[in-house]
Amino acid sequence: MTSRLWEKLKPYGMISPSLAVFGIFFIYPIFYMIYLSFFDWNFVSPTKNYVGLQNFTDLLSDKEFMQVLLNTTIYTFATVSLTLSISLAIALWLNRSGLFYGFVQGAIFSPHIISLVSISLLWSWLMDPEYGLLNWVIGLFGLSPLQWLSHPDTSLMSLILVAVWKGIGFNTLVFIAGLQSIPPSIYEAAALDRSKRWRTFRKLTLPMLSPTLFFLAIMSMIGSFQVFETIAIMTQGGPVNSTNTLVYYIYEYGFRFFKIGYASAAGVMLLIIVGVLTIIYFRMLSKRVHYR
Amino acid sequence: MKRRKRRSFLTLMLGMAMMLSACGGESGGGAATNASAVSANTGNASGEKIQIKYWYAFGEKIEEAKQELVKRFNESQDKIEVVAEYQGNYDDLHAKVQAAFAAGDAPAVTDLEIASTGTFARYGMLQELAPFAEKDKDQLKIDDFNPGLMGNAYVDGKLYGLPFMRSTPIMYMNVSLLEKAGLDPAGPKTWAEFEEYGRVLKEKGITAMTMPVDIWFYEGLVAQSGGQVLAEDGKSGLFNTPEAVEPVEFWKKLASEGLIKIPVGDEAGATADKDWANQTSAFKFGSTAGVAGAIDISKGNNFEFDTAFMPANKSYGVPTGGCQLVMTSKLSEEEQAAAWEFIKFMTTTESTIYQSKHVGYLPTRLSALETEEMQSLYKEYPQYKVAVDQLEYARPRPMETAYPEVAKLVKSAIEKTLLDPKVTPQQAMDEANEKANALLSK
Repeated sequence: MTSRLWEKLKPYGMISPSLAVFGIFFIYPIFYMIYLSFFDWNFVSPTKNYVGLQNFTDLLSDKEFMQVLLNTTIYTFATVSLTLSISLAIALWLNRSGLFYGFVQGAIFSPHIISLVSISLLWSWLMDPEYGLLNWVIGLFGLSPLQWLSHPDTSLMSLILVAVWKGIGFNTLVFIAGLQSIPPSIYEAAALDRSKRWRTFRKLTLPMLSPTLFFLAIMSMIGSFQVFETIAIMTQGGPVNSTNTLVYYIYEYGFRFFKIGYASAAGVMLLIIVGVLTIIYFRMLSKRVHYR
Repeated sequence: MKRRKRRSFLTLMLGMAMMLSACGGESGGGAATNASAVSANTGNASGEKIQIKYWYAFGEKIEEAKQELVKRFNESQDKIEVVAEYQGNYDDLHAKVQAAFAAGDAPAVTDLEIASTGTFARYGMLQELAPFAEKDKDQLKIDDFNPGLMGNAYVDGKLYGLPFMRSTPIMYMNVSLLEKAGLDPAGPKTWAEFEEYGRVLKEKGITAMTMPVDIWFYEGLVAQSGGQVLAEDGKSGLFNTPEAVEPVEFWKKLASEGLIKIPVGDEAGATADKDWANQTSAFKFGSTAGVAGAIDISKGNNFEFDTAFMPANKSYGVPTGGCQLVMTSKLSEEEQAAAWEFIKFMTTTESTIYQSKHVGYLPTRLSALETEEMQSLYKEYPQYKVAVDQLEYARPRPMETAYPEVAKLVKSAIEKTLLDPKVTPQQAMDEANEKANALLSK
């Protein structure tokens, strides 16, 4: 009897540590955040002031927040689409053996393992409008220097550039793994049927790769929506709010202006947006994802 | 959020560990206060040292001075052990103190940037110091603190902090560059002269100044134009008054002619320092805390430098700056006593002389100024003395609860007009002032 009970309970016992961690670090904070979003609180005073949906109505009528949402959306869309298309192109090129290809693969993967803080400092330096390397390089081509992070017209683009540069390595690696798991026999069959290269790619490679593509799209979308480090270090949301994104906005209101209720409300918005997008993604892509 | 959760989780784990290790009968307060309660108890029972935490901001010379003073304090007696912990810049420090306070694990003593004293005091995070100061008044000699530095020590009439590493912004000048450009090495005394200097330097391919849009400098420029940033009662902003718009117009003029460079981001201040150190910019505004570092840099990079008042518009004028030492509330009596001893030690005449020499901060006590040690330092390195003399024109910083948020939107408005030719300074500041009023009147 007891041994059968033990058999039943054992799995739960085994997963309980990770369940506890999951509950404490993920589930509880989410509910606590939702709870806090209904209050006006400075994080330290003993009383919380219940304000109902006030934080949300304030948030939605705040022009700055609308700008922040727009910035975040542009950043996410541009980063995900650029990173994925460039990585896929590189992956197709690198998907062969040889010392050279291995080296290139390692080289473009290297940004992935460098801390984002170092990367931010490095790029701030490269993008210095007067003494930066990038302006020197585009000067060689006779182009006029860009203001990069110092002007609202180019600042968000500059951050996207950094994110794409950082993201390509990892995405390429996963794409290559995906490409290599496609059985060569299918390609042989296609070759026998004299399928053109573009057609093979569109009708064969892409569908076979779609689970990988789907996974990477979701991961980079969620990651981009939560961008923080590069913004905190390179621009602090400026100039003129042009690079302020959701998570930085939440940080500023929570930890610099002591408005934790308002910040939590913004956090709830982030949760909703990422949640809805994930559902849409699943719905839309699941129809086209080819699972074997 | 995450940080807070993690901390309370840790305390929870700690609490559980303590219960497991057979504390048995003790019913101790909430898990959150366990750690401090335990250290206080052991301190009492066995006559062992009481340990308190002190959090501070900034690295390099500032950190060296703070660590050295803590070391001296720990060696000066055997009852109290202060553990000093680095927490980044002022913004980082404030955010961490806030989160730690919420988790019941705040440091006993912390640096606090002067403009934030109001927010922290009104939120009940600080211990009023008047009773301690009264008890030790002969030893403390509160009148000995430079009166020009006490403006931010009081919030709503109550004493919350003692001046620690205090500063004013001053102008750093690369004298070698000025001489090379055929300019008077005494430097510009007024805004008009600064502009002239800028034109001459630009012809030689040198940027006059790398200057981030910094609310602290802006407060200075408004003071120099004879204005104020906030109304007397602090309930409304004066950002759209002529005196507060004039600095922005001046800024815009300099920037549009390419006489100054405006860096952005968290590293903007560091970029200004770097450009000045690399001699690509001839001037920089900076805290007097940079004097000792600038002496090293100028020696290393082989140029002469001098410091001067920020140039005058209608008159000279600067905000004071830097940090004071504060005690957090929610301490036990033993911890309060220990924290007070520590604060007293850190602000003595001897301590202020040491840190002023080591870093460049203002000597906070009048008695320190009179000592032979400081006077001979000023003879050898007159760069140290400028901030002290400039104190005559100094004023406290605003301490309204909403000021951090107001500062952000004012900074944003200034950036907007600097970068967008279509937005006039008056328009940008009108808009900013309206938003500021909404925040301040709450």
